[in-house]
Formats: sequence, C-alpha cells, structure tokens
Amino acid sequence: MRLRELAASRSGDKGDVSNICVFAYDPADYPLLVERLTAERVQAHFGALVEGGVVRYELPRVHGLNFVLDRALGGGVSMTLRADPHGKAYQSLILDLDL
Amino acid sequence: MPGGAPGPLVLASGSAYAEDRLDAVEAMAASGRAAYLGFDCLAERTLALAQVRRLADPSAGQDRRIAALVPLLRSHLAAGRRVVGNFGAANPDAARDDFVRALKEVGLPGVRIGVVHGDEVRLLVTALDAELPELGTTVGALGDRVVSAHVYLGADGIVDCLRQDAQIVLGGRLADPSLFVGPICHELGWELDDWDRLGHATMVGHLLECGVHSTGGNYEDPPYRVVPEPWNLGFPIAEVEDGAVTITKLPGTGGAVDAMTMKTQLYYEIHDPAAYLTPDVTADFTQVEVEDLGADRVRISGARGHARPDTLKVLVGIDQGWRATGEMSWGGPGCVERARRAEEVLRKRLEPYAAELDEVRVDLQGVDSLFGVRMAGGYPSEVRLRLAVRTTSLDVARTAAHETELLYFGPAGGGGNVTSVVPAIGVTPAYVPRELVPVRTEVSGS
Repeated sequence: MRLRELAASRSGDKGDVSNICVFAYDPADYPLLVERLTAERVQAHFGALVEGGVVRYELPRVHGLNFVLDRALGGGVSMTLRADPHGKAYQSLILDLDL
Repeated sequence: MPGGAPGPLVLASGSAYAEDRLDAVEAMAASGRAAYLGFDCLAERTLALAQVRRLADPSAGQDRRIAALVPLLRSHLAAGRRVVGNFGAANPDAARDDFVRALKEVGLPGVRIGVVHGDEVRLLVTALDAELPELGTTVGALGDRVVSAHVYLGADGIVDCLRQDAQIVLGGRLADPSLFVGPICHELGWELDDWDRLGHATMVGHLLECGVHSTGGNYEDPPYRVVPEPWNLGFPIAEVEDGAVTITKLPGTGGAVDAMTMKTQLYYEIHDPAAYLTPDVTADFTQVEVEDLGADRVRISGARGHARPDTLKVLVGIDQGWRATGEMSWGGPGCVERARRAEEVLRKRLEPYAAELDEVRVDLQGVDSLFGVRMAGGYPSEVRLRLAVRTTSLDVARTAAHETELLYFGPAGGGGNVTSVVPAIGVTPAYVPRELVPVRTEVSGS
C-alpha cells in the first residue's frame, strides 16, 4: 500500500536540512505508520538525495511523524543547483513509499 | 493596554514573504477583524539579496511593496489598529521613509512608527571571527566574501516599540514568529520569561507567519486533499486566549482551515518538536492538541516552552559568485536520447572553463531533475534539459548559459531556450552570545 493513500505530508527547509512531516488521515492508521515508516526506510527511499542521516520524531497526539533529513538539499536554497532548491517536492516523494 | 479588552486577542497574517500577493490585504483590513496585522517579508536568502541591493544603492534593500501596501491598509490604520513586519530587510530606515511617504499620500500623517535596530551584526561576527559550522570555516577566513550577517531578533524590541505607542513596528531580521509573539505578550500582559506562554505565543506565530500555508496553500493533492477556491486563499486569523488559539479565515475566501491544514503547517520547518529554537523561547509542540470545530475554525492548545537559547542565530551571506541556468526542450520519439546527447554536447563545450566552474549540473526535467532516475514507467512525450552552473566568473556564467542557446545547432528539434544569470549568495548559520547583541528601538511620528 502506498503512503499517499493514508497520509498527508509537507516538506520544509532550513539551510541544507529538509524536514518532512507526515500525518495519518485516519488516526487508526497511525500505529501502522510508526511500525513501517521508519527512519531507515525513508533514508533508503531517498537514497543519494540525502547525504547525511535521517532522524524521526513521533507525534502521537496529532498522529504524525516528523522526519529530519540532514544535508539533503545540495547545499541549501541559495547555493544548490537543483531544480527544486527548497525541496518542496520531497513531500510528494515520501508519499510514493510502499508500506 | 496590558490586561486588555474582554474576549480573545485577534491577529492576522498579511504576508508570508517578500513576493507574496497583496490582493487579500484590503479585505482583511476592511473586515476590522484583527487588532494586529503581521507581515513576514523575509526568507533565508531574501536578506542577503537585499544586502546586495543596498550595497549597489544605499537607499535600497528594504521590502519593495510598501508604497503599494499602505493604501490597502488605510482603513486598518485609520481605525487605530496596528501593523508589525520585518519590512526593513537590509535597510529598516529606508523602509520607515517609505512608510512616511506613503502615509502622507493616503492622508494619514502623524502615525507613530517604531523601528527595531540591531539585527545587522557583520562587524560583530567579524570581530568574533565567528565559526560557520556548516562550512567548517570562520568568518575571517572568508574575508570580503562575507556580504551580510543578520541575527534573528525576538519579541523584546517589538514589545518596547508597542509600549511607546508605535502603531507600525518594523525591523530587519525580526524572527518570523516573534512578529506575533511581541503583540500577544504586549496585549495580554505576558512576561517575556513566562516560558509556557511564550511557547504558546510562538505556536500562534508559527501558524500565522507562513500566511496561506495554513489555510490550504501548498496542500492540495487531489483526490486525497482538495480545498475550495484555491485561487482565492484566505489568510489565517488567530483568536488568542491563554493556553489556546482558534485559527480561522475571512468568510468568502477560498482554502480550508481544518485539523489537517493546521497540522501540516504546525510542524513545517520544525526539527525536534520538543525543542523548536527561536530568539524568544525553546518551544515544545509535542503535547499539542488540534480540535476541528467545523466551519473553518480549529482550536489548538498544549504548546509549552522552556528557557530561551543563550545564543542567537545569525545568517551569514557569502558571495559565491554567479548561478547561471539555461534550458531547452525536446519532444517526440527519442526525445530523451536527443536531450542526453545535448548534455554531452554541453559538457564538451564547457570543458575549457572547467577550472572556473565550481559546480555543474544537468537535469532532464520530466525524467530525473527532482529525484534522480526513479521512473517505473516509460519515456515522456517531451523533456526539458536544464543546465545549472556556479562560478565566480561572470563571463564564464554568461558563456555557460549561452551554450544552451547554441543547442539550436545540437540534436534535432530543440526549442524554447531560456537563460538566466543571477548572483549566488550562500547563507550559512553562525551563533553569537545574546548579550553581545544590543537591540535599540526608535519611535517617532511620521
């Protein structure tokens, strides 16, 4: 099952660090996200796009997870030559993850 | 009026960054809903680019929308309501002058304007030879390449101006949430070391600072996520009480205020949700509860806070030369192969400049530009090549961009060349002791 069917997401940037938060539409799906959407799987899914590590924070009261991806934006918004300097599209890439 | 009038304090967002639309401001002002309108005018790279404008012209470097904005704010200001914004960017005094001029033109002279000074700290970081941890070097090692250094200032200067009856408060790098924390603490009589209340006020600021990001902007993903009338997104309005806030928007505007639009904004650009660092507080959003009240109203509570950090974050702008881009499209059968061949042509043509090119990147948009090659399906019907380079030589930057135009003589059928060359200003953080950053306020009539 694709994450997109279960969750909404948003990505933001601070320097070369991207954060992607993910929220279950149905609170009943939150435990599944906690079990399957691990930092390791997100790191593998993003592959070479992330040069540093991935840290996950759990947000049980709002049925969400927050991922912080280090060195993930090619140097940050004002330096990077990437087509999407803010990594705004990352929120869509994470939703392509097959749970 | 600390202690204030009965009922919640109402604040609203008018802008989320320097290029934001202004067409919603007039209706917000005319509605009379908000005692305060907050205007965030900055993003990470905005200030460094504003500093470059100021270096070229000492009267420039401020937000460029003030003359257009003031007529839209007329009814808000005429009613005695207040405005707070980081309109100053790299030149707060010039922003003040723009306000004075525009207020006279709309027939509102004598409005008290407060200016918060102190965010420009280039001399300080130079004297300290401040470390630049993300680059592994120091300010001194970069010498003349450091073009700007601005520290994120908190709510204290804003509160100071409001206490002096400023009706408009502006500054340079006033931290985004602090634009709202200042008015909240002033109006509700909260002390600036009341950490849980500061955490709550910062949460309100975070929900307002990004404008329509809270109300359905950057949100739709049909069919899973859809909002009404996204062409007319309403800006967020906050009704602030002790310990809770209700977020809403003007009737008749598009977008949505519901639990999901609030949650996606609440944790946007937050790293550790237990320790969101601002100049005002170490905010803790781990216990936040979001309650959908229906009819575009959401009640949010549970933010906490701990003592503010001892250091203040500085964004240091570094001259990285030029960033040049050039694009060309190919379509039809074999378009990806022809675009790949064009990439080969470009890379060969750029070989003579290799020593001066700090970074070169070629993407095929529609194939690999966002995520690398991850396509499970077949080839697209069209593809757009994008070359991007970074170099300290303006000539090399122009030459590289022009090479994409010459692809009209490359693989068959290339069309639609577009090029650009812009300054590349890197921004990187530094941290300085809070006590070394004096904040000065200046309040006077327009």
